[in-house]
Amino acid sequence: MSMNTAEVLSLDSVLVQREGNIASDMDGEKVMLNVKNGKYYNLGEVGGAIWEALASPVSIRRIAEIMQETFEVPAELAQQDVIDFVQNLLNEDLVAVVSGS
Amino acid sequence: MAGTAQCLGYKAFGLQILSEFPLPELPRTDLPGQIGSVSVVQADLSARWETIPKITANLGTAGNEVMFMVKDTAIFSIQNGSTITVSPAAGADPDSVRLFILGSCMGVLLMQKGILALHGSSLVLEGKAYALVGRSGAGKSTLASYLMDQGHLMVSDDVIPVLVHNGHPLAVPGYPQQKLWQQSLDYLGMNSSAYRPLFRRETKFAVPVHDRFQSEPLPLAGIFELAVGGAEEVKVEPVNGLERLHILYNHTYQKALVDPMGIREWHFGLLASFVNRLPMYRLTRPEQGFSAPRQTELIMETIKQKMEEMNR
Repeated sequence: MSMNTAEVLSLDSVLVQREGNIASDMDGEKVMLNVKNGKYYNLGEVGGAIWEALASPVSIRRIAEIMQETFEVPAELAQQDVIDFVQNLLNEDLVAVVSGS
Repeated sequence: MAGTAQCLGYKAFGLQILSEFPLPELPRTDLPGQIGSVSVVQADLSARWETIPKITANLGTAGNEVMFMVKDTAIFSIQNGSTITVSPAAGADPDSVRLFILGSCMGVLLMQKGILALHGSSLVLEGKAYALVGRSGAGKSTLASYLMDQGHLMVSDDVIPVLVHNGHPLAVPGYPQQKLWQQSLDYLGMNSSAYRPLFRRETKFAVPVHDRFQSEPLPLAGIFELAVGGAEEVKVEPVNGLERLHILYNHTYQKALVDPMGIREWHFGLLASFVNRLPMYRLTRPEQGFSAPRQTELIMETIKQKMEEMNR
């Protein structure tokens, strides 16, 4: 049984996509289907970029750097947005914590 | 008789069908279709059926081949989006065999060719194609018949082939018959019992509609999902966001085969590529009473309103 909802993420948390999700492009936004629960998700443009970054294990800090570069936002904003978004992914059990939280 | 059978060319589902089995309900053609040509041949499949890996008692798949068996009717094999092989059982009813060739087999073949097929009827309304989808018993056939009585042309019945080009869906014509043989529709559904009676469960007639048939593809401009219950009056409401993906998935013809055929990713990607540009509505009717006239009014109002919005 996963205890994902109890996890508290930090910049050093390393996470990775869980398997069993199919993502596709929908007019620039990333939509996703979780094959197991049959739920659909719209990750949006930024969320889609975060999802792609999670294809292999990666720290929140590193994802925020990528977002900062790609979308030209200040570091602190990028970090907070990434933490919030990844927390949502974690709550939905779409990603797994590898280490560091 | 193998090798000597005469192949006749027929036109349906955007395909030229070269068939050793007579398919009298289909128009003849000597030309390849928009989607290409396929062959329907007769051969003994009993040995192959024994060896193919099974998903259910009646359904097997391996590589680019899907096989299914209908007791006392035939064993069918659909391969590479190009060939349907049929091995009729001794004394099989040719009408039943044909029913599966034109239904389940074509559905699988379209999927193998990378063509989306929806389960429902499509009709020409205001110059464009609209799909009516919904569960068995939701009233698709009744409403489609009524719309045709009102002078609207049918594009396809039961299987709606959808060609997606640059994010624009196109409804491809089926063939000029309203098929009211419900039994083939759900045959491949894997949650059904392998032993439930397949035939004579519901006997209806196939109605030729040569004079009310749209024979060229048309842009698919919207989907109406028919639903029953709840309200006392017929009502229509738009379906938005991710629920549209769900509707398309749910009403994919033989969706139970999407995973066994290993095409889930392709299927989802295809749906995502046009779902944003395809208006969808849920049309709910009361359980009792004949709702087709009111459903038609609401559908036409909805379409006209949408067209006005887009022209604004």
